Amino acid sequence: MSVADLDAPASPAGMFGLRDVAERALVEDSADVIVIGSGAAGATSARVLSAAGLEVIVLEEGSVLSAPRSDMYTSFKHHWRDMGLQAAEGRAFTPLLQGRVVGGTTVMNGAIIHRLPEPIYDGWAAEHAVNRSFSYAELERVFDALDRELMVGPAPDAVFGENNRLMQLGVERIGATGNRIQRSVSGCRGSAHCNQGCPTRRKQSMDVSFIPRALEAGARLYYQCRAERVRAKRSRAEAVEGRFVDPVTRARGPRFRFHARRAIVVCASAIQTPGLLAASGVGRRSRLLGERLQAHPGTGVVGVFDAPVKMSFGATQGYESKHFWHERMKFEAVGMPLEFAAARLPGIGPALMQELASFDHLAIWGVQIRAEAQGQVRRGLFGGTSVHYDLTDADVERLKLGVSRLIQMMFAAGAREVLPGVHGLPERISSPDQAAPLAALPSDPRRFHCIAAHLFGTAKLGLSPHSSVVDLQGQVHDSPGLYVMDSSIFPTNLGVNPQHSISALAWLLSERLAERKAP
Amino acid sequence: MGLLPFEKRWLVSVITCLIPSGASERLPEGAADLPLERFIDDLLAHAPLKFLLGLRACLWVVSLAPCVVLGRLRLFHQLGDEEQLQLLTRFKDSDAYLVREMPLLFKMVGCLAYGGHPRIQARLALEPRDETPPDWARTASQRAPETPGGDS
Ligand SMILES: Cc1cc2nc3c(=O)[nH]c(=O)nc-3n(C[C@H](O)[C@H](O)[C@H](O)COP(=O)(O)OP(=O)(O)OC[C@H]3O[C@@H](n4cnc5c(N)ncnc54)[C@H](O)[C@@H]3O)c2cc1C
Ligand code: SF4
Repeated sequence: MSVADLDAPASPAGMFGLRDVAERALVEDSADVIVIGSGAAGATSARVLSAAGLEVIVLEEGSVLSAPRSDMYTSFKHHWRDMGLQAAEGRAFTPLLQGRVVGGTTVMNGAIIHRLPEPIYDGWAAEHAVNRSFSYAELERVFDALDRELMVGPAPDAVFGENNRLMQLGVERIGATGNRIQRSVSGCRGSAHCNQGCPTRRKQSMDVSFIPRALEAGARLYYQCRAERVRAKRSRAEAVEGRFVDPVTRARGPRFRFHARRAIVVCASAIQTPGLLAASGVGRRSRLLGERLQAHPGTGVVGVFDAPVKMSFGATQGYESKHFWHERMKFEAVGMPLEFAAARLPGIGPALMQELASFDHLAIWGVQIRAEAQGQVRRGLFGGTSVHYDLTDADVERLKLGVSRLIQMMFAAGAREVLPGVHGLPERISSPDQAAPLAALPSDPRRFHCIAAHLFGTAKLGLSPHSSVVDLQGQVHDSPGLYVMDSSIFPTNLGVNPQHSISALAWLLSERLAERKAP
Repeated sequence: MGLLPFEKRWLVSVITCLIPSGASERLPEGAADLPLERFIDDLLAHAPLKFLLGLRACLWVVSLAPCVVLGRLRLFHQLGDEEQLQLLTRFKDSDAYLVREMPLLFKMVGCLAYGGHPRIQARLALEPRDETPPDWARTASQRAPETPGGDS
């Protein structure tokens, strides 16, 4: 069956899901380029390639977010990978949060926009020769275009919200600098629901920005459509195979085989991409596939204020401080939903109920570090992936310093009490000096509760097939026609939120791909 | 992977101990005032196997712990409220990482149900909130059937 045979699909125009193909034995289709994954990288690539006149098919394992709900459980169940319960194992468990939905993780992210820091680019140029592929000036041109298309601007006054305002106060009072976060949102209503999917679709996540633009330019998108392997013909990647599966009910639909006349672009994320390449038998020559996983692990500190904070109103993440960026740490206000915040509170039983009852008075700010740790992504025992990731001692020392700075900021902003969330410190402290023992605690990641939401490096780019998985155009060294354009190819982590950098690289490499002659 | 009916009862007793009813004037309802068993069924039907194996292992440890921790020949759900809380507090404060993570795991599960219910969110004046409860909290007649391939 080809897409031409699909009669009056029930899905949004240009999109085809399991219910549209359920009766078929095999779904077949073909295009110039097949893009796997519809997140920051995949949607951007589809947007650029289709605008360049190429026929594009996008495959996405997740469903379409049609009516966002406020509760986290429903969001987890329908739109997050493994219901948000995926975790890396090391000495501590580190939840790895990822979206699995049309639009990828951008649908539930904080919409924070940063450009690739120049010192990071310089490091990539010096050690990984990226300057032979693109200059920083070229990146800036793309960042400008992305800013315009994704309506990037600072959180406006009307929806700044008290959680963000208090953080600004705390940052300024400890003598640091900070700024309103640049966000990809148009007309934010300040519902602090970015993690559930924006209820008013103001956030310019890929499902409301680049995916519709790619569809308008003629792209087709298959969702609930899981790529399992890439097939090659005469050593050139030419088809993607897999199956339609409902990610929630796990109901299996037909198998598919999609043919690519020109290229296959893998944008399945730094956790899923290595597994897909490995299952396809490619990218393994350097032995770096799935290795070098890097991240920005982060943890949060809760402050209790006398006056209401009302974290449930305001831009979910509206204020940040990069003052200590050179020390590999960055601070952000985090307007957490009740369910997330509740799990972060120290109490149990009646004490928890009292804490929840004063939810209005809580502020939460986080620190994320540019960790040195490198992990691995492997095939898991139960199918799927297994991730190993363990912070180094130096990383834990940075976390300790970051948490102690957050505690200072909280008190400086007027917090009555702070709940540091570190094993070995009191659950509640009422002055900054009570946090002094933090410095002397052992460098043990198990004392913190970190999450990792920014993931990089598992199919690194570079010049040599011996020290990288893909070349400087994103093409897998041993698989002509097969490209990777997501953050797997980043040689290192960034120290800033990565969506914009991921989109920028995907944009540039897709432009190059569009310019290449057809094989 | 499901839980056996008695394991579900164990899980309900752990969560209702962590999120009790009548402990706060502003939040008089606890987890027991919500259809928690339906939430658990929904979670068991959809969560990844690895998570469910971990949850089950932790459940057995907590259920059998009164004997070791409190010297009481009882299962967790057979203890009184005070003793249940005492036991979970010992877990929470433990220096052993895996032990202190156990109550946190149950709390996370319980709070996903509790904190996401519009009735609880209304008590805390959280806006915007859903007009209808999540699927698991609706009565059978209110619930839409789970059709494969549906949007969400
Ligand atoms: C809670 C949270 C908040 C964040 N906040 C910010 C922020 O404010 N700013 C920022 O810059 N970054 C933020 N990030 C990170 C950012 O969103 C991600 O780094 C970025 O979206 C990654 O882009 P990607 O294209 O590599 O992967 P994703 O956006 O995750 O997209 C990958 C897509 O591929 C699909 N896929 C995977 N495997 C297959 C397969 N086999 N077949 C078909 N489809 C497949 C997945 O379902 C997914 O939809 C946040 C992340 C999280 C979790
Ligand atoms: S804060 Fe609310 S309205 Fe603003 S972008 Fe996030 S979800 Fe949308």
